[in-house]
Amino acid sequence: MIDFMGYGPRLLEGALLTAQLAVLSLLLALVLGLATASARLSQNPPLRAIAVVYTVAIRSVPDLVLMMLLFYGAQIGLNQITDAIYNHWGYDIFITIDPFAAGVATIGLIFGAYMAETFRGAFLAVDRGQIEAGAAYGMSRWLVFRHIRFPLMMRHALPGLGNNWMVLLKTTALVSIIGLSDMVRIAAEATRATHQTFLFMIPVALGYLVMTSVSEVIFGWLSRRYNAGFEEQH
Amino acid sequence: MTDEPIPLHVSGIHKKFGDTEVLRGISLEAHKGDVITLIGASGSGKSTFLRCLNLLERPDSGEISVHGESIRFRMTRRGREPADRSQLERIRTRLAMVFQNFNLWAHMTLLDNVIEAPIYVRGVPRKAAREQGMALLERVGLTERAHAYPAQLSGGQQQRGAIARALAMDPEVMLFDEPTSALDPELVGDVLEVMRELAAEGRTMVVVTHEMDFARDVSNHVMYLHKGQVEEQGNPAEVLSHPESERLRQFLAPRGR
Amino acid sequence: MQELLQSIAPWLADNAIFTPQTLAQYWEGFVNTVQLVFISLVLGLILALPLSIGRASRLKPLSLAIWVYTWVFRGTPLLVQLYIAYYGLAFIPGIQQSIVWPLIRDPLYPALLAFMLNTAAYTTEIFYGAIKATPRGEVEAARAYGMSSLMAYRRIILPSALRRALPAYGNEVIFMLHASAIASVVTITDLTGVAYNVYARFYAPFSAFIFVALCYMVLSFAIQGAFKLLEKRMLVHLQPA
Repeated sequence: MIDFMGYGPRLLEGALLTAQLAVLSLLLALVLGLATASARLSQNPPLRAIAVVYTVAIRSVPDLVLMMLLFYGAQIGLNQITDAIYNHWGYDIFITIDPFAAGVATIGLIFGAYMAETFRGAFLAVDRGQIEAGAAYGMSRWLVFRHIRFPLMMRHALPGLGNNWMVLLKTTALVSIIGLSDMVRIAAEATRATHQTFLFMIPVALGYLVMTSVSEVIFGWLSRRYNAGFEEQH
Repeated sequence: MTDEPIPLHVSGIHKKFGDTEVLRGISLEAHKGDVITLIGASGSGKSTFLRCLNLLERPDSGEISVHGESIRFRMTRRGREPADRSQLERIRTRLAMVFQNFNLWAHMTLLDNVIEAPIYVRGVPRKAAREQGMALLERVGLTERAHAYPAQLSGGQQQRGAIARALAMDPEVMLFDEPTSALDPELVGDVLEVMRELAAEGRTMVVVTHEMDFARDVSNHVMYLHKGQVEEQGNPAEVLSHPESERLRQFLAPRGR
Repeated sequence: MQELLQSIAPWLADNAIFTPQTLAQYWEGFVNTVQLVFISLVLGLILALPLSIGRASRLKPLSLAIWVYTWVFRGTPLLVQLYIAYYGLAFIPGIQQSIVWPLIRDPLYPALLAFMLNTAAYTTEIFYGAIKATPRGEVEAARAYGMSSLMAYRRIILPSALRRALPAYGNEVIFMLHASAIASVVTITDLTGVAYNVYARFYAPFSAFIFVALCYMVLSFAIQGAFKLLEKRMLVHLQPA
């Protein structure tokens, strides 16, 4: 058994936090991505413009900068609001932002933009004839969406989603910089204290490798499932 | 007769893909100026045989000699391989191949395609290669398209360009692998016309084709392949008009109703 | 437009944050970021070229070894790689007393090492994919016209593959620019590091980070534009007339 010099339990907690953070941000990113993709494909110009600005702005700025902006900015913005409330109405409220929730929110917001691009491309790749066929048989728009557009779209979206998920997983490491105790932060603290870089960093790297590799296998299996009934085209 | 070595001499070519025997001992002799056509149903092995001649496919046994020089082989764990890469590369420059799908290099202009191998394989000076290349493109009627990329040309233009690329090697023998099969019907004529001219000027050619008129009118020897063997061969006028075997008769019979 | 300028003029005049001094700091950060990213990209590119050829080779052990390298570097966060390079070098017993210490105590070198190996891994896979996608017929034609394997690589496969890889490589360049933002954790004052200092000093997260976000945006758009131009020139052969 490797001796982690007393850091073992904390490293495990950090790994758990990384996993929770990744899964929750993924869910948020999926919801935001679907909503944004729908907005971009809608007939409503202002809605489309908002979606374009959101996706382009997020994707041309480093994740870490966005994270710092939202993380440090949100607290100050909130303080200003509560101050204003105190000055006007005399209520003294103090809200501290939970760092974990802030982490989920920022990563979800960032990857929502990437997911939106993936979903948009996938929706556009769906053969129009298939949707028309649904409408021709008297299906409602919602039914067409659930039974035809969405499943067909997922086939095109899966490879992109898998890729986004693996980038997201690795991006969670950045929360260690803004103060969340994920496994990278614990390992960095332990390294600075003990000077045993490899003892702590290699297991963390392996942890990520396991998570990304397992994801790759799962997504490979999923895309084969969603590809059922379609010939591979070469 | 002089005792100049003949351009292409091939004997006893055998080839297996896994357990299927696709070539079962085929021989061929091309004298100077010969135009030999290989015909047969798909799967008869005619394209594989042609690809064995310049070793794009490795024959399991059999001899190939070009202008009197035999390709040397040796046995390896992967099977029978050419013993001397540089000999193979030298011999390949004398057997220019024209492919069914043209296989022009997509990132080069037509002229660059034509002068590529002369410059980089045969060491012709660039200036001379360009002059020769332009002359050849003029021959095949593509002077104005010299600086176009393959994707900007029609199939027929690409194939005529590919023929110019082959001619630029000044080859001993030209190998044509179904050169008109990938073309739209209205573009076939131009390519066949160029090939007729080449035959008329005495080029030695081995042509795999489905064009029976070309086989009848242009070639002086036709070989009908069936299941990896030569079923019938000889003078096209005789073989194609009075086939002896039942299979060739059926193969030549008008299709459709 | 005139009105807009007039409305922001006073704000620019008496703002405490964007003084010439802070702007100079931002400029220094900009230079450091561009330098760091550019050098890593060039070194990574030089490394990726032979690696991608090896990855495509028929020599199974070689191809497998290179795949393991790209798998490890693409499957773990760059931040972890940076920590390993930075602390791993610094905490080698006795190194701080040795003669190489003055050379490697500058955090630039471990950062360059990590960034170079990381971008080389991604670039190797991009090039490998492009090599694999070379049309079979074009390679066959090269062989049929007497080219050796080396010559076919030099004249046909690589020129065609590298052109095809251009769009994906453009994404990699932008990815690397964004990823370089973590350089500040090893005390390099890159753009993000400067923005953090400005935030900490003035307690003004919005000004500090939105300004730096705009800097990155401009850089990203410039890179994107450059690659669009390059693609237009290098990929003409793929467009029908």
